[in-house]
Amino acid sequence: MAYSEKVIEHYNNPRNVGSLDKKDPNVGTGLVGAPECGDVMKLQMKVNPATRVIEEAKFKTFGCGSAIASSSLATEWVKGKTVEEALAIKNTDIVRELALPPVKIHCSVLAEDAIKAALSDWKTKQGEEVNAAETKSAAH
Amino acid sequence: MSMTQTSSATAPGTKCWSCGKIADGHFCAACGKIQPLPRGTSYFAFFALPEKLQIDPEALEQQFHKLSWKLHPDNFMRADEFERNLSLERSSELNDAYRALRDPLTRVEYLLAHKGMRKEGAAKQQAPPELLEEVFELNESLDELREARAAGEDLAALRASLESAEQDFQEKLAGVDAELDQVRTEWDAAIEANATESDLSKVMARMNEILNRRSYIRNLVVSVAKELADA
Ligand code: FES
Repeated sequence: MAYSEKVIEHYNNPRNVGSLDKKDPNVGTGLVGAPECGDVMKLQMKVNPATRVIEEAKFKTFGCGSAIASSSLATEWVKGKTVEEALAIKNTDIVRELALPPVKIHCSVLAEDAIKAALSDWKTKQGEEVNAAETKSAAH
Repeated sequence: MSMTQTSSATAPGTKCWSCGKIADGHFCAACGKIQPLPRGTSYFAFFALPEKLQIDPEALEQQFHKLSWKLHPDNFMRADEFERNLSLERSSELNDAYRALRDPLTRVEYLLAHKGMRKEGAAKQQAPPELLEEVFELNESLDELREARAAGEDLAALRASLESAEQDFQEKLAGVDAELDQVRTEWDAAIEANATESDLSKVMARMNEILNRRSYIRNLVVSVAKELADA
């Protein structure tokens, strides 16, 4: 499989690999998996509750190059965004940015799902109501 | 098409395009002409099999050879274009059908996909959180082993822990496969007993859930085997 240059770049220099304190009330954790291939991805974000700005984002992905690149890109994109802005990120944006071929679309879906899962975890921790549509799986 | 009957390769009551008699197989029983393939024909129907998951592999193979011989384009060299195309279409469909049904695992995947239970993406369900946690942790420990090796730590000890990890994953995989066997039997019994659509759906949901779990575990087995090969 020929990966695009951008995928290779993220794969070789993944941004924001690591983890945040799961117990911190300001940290949202999203752990998602793709049954198609058995890959798993964890994405965490630290959100300032006053401004709702995402101050930190970390990921750890056990999966293919596209999944690693997608999550790396996702952490880059969400940093500095508000919760609402981050929730607006679509897997298709990732597909476009990384020039993913059709068979690798599910890898980008994983990243979108992870963002949504992490932020709904954060909202739950903050005592906010989680909109059902937000926790649903991304469009494919 | 009813799921419970032995299905045939065409919808019941379909008329032969050539002679107009009722034709419900690959060929018209009356005039012997090859018949078009209705949309959505299941691979089971292709082999005139009920939609059961336990299939005798030898009978399937024999049937495959028989059909591929009968449908082979060489037999239609002098037929008109319509029939030649049908033979091409059916031959290639036959190969797909055989490939999907030959392997017990892809057979389950095919059944679920055909019933709309396992669409790529859309109908996917997230795995239970505990399972994802577990898989993630197992992956992490595998990662630690990898790092320890890169740091030049004791290879023998490392090998030993990899081997025990491998055994652990193999056991888990065997466990999932046993569950899958169990649910296969249940499915066949349900088909046999003319179970309701809703009962059948329940069995399929279980199969789907087991397949999802299986793919995570299989992934771990592959990763640890790869590590061991390098260690
Ligand atoms: S192949 Fe599964 S996440 Fe990429």
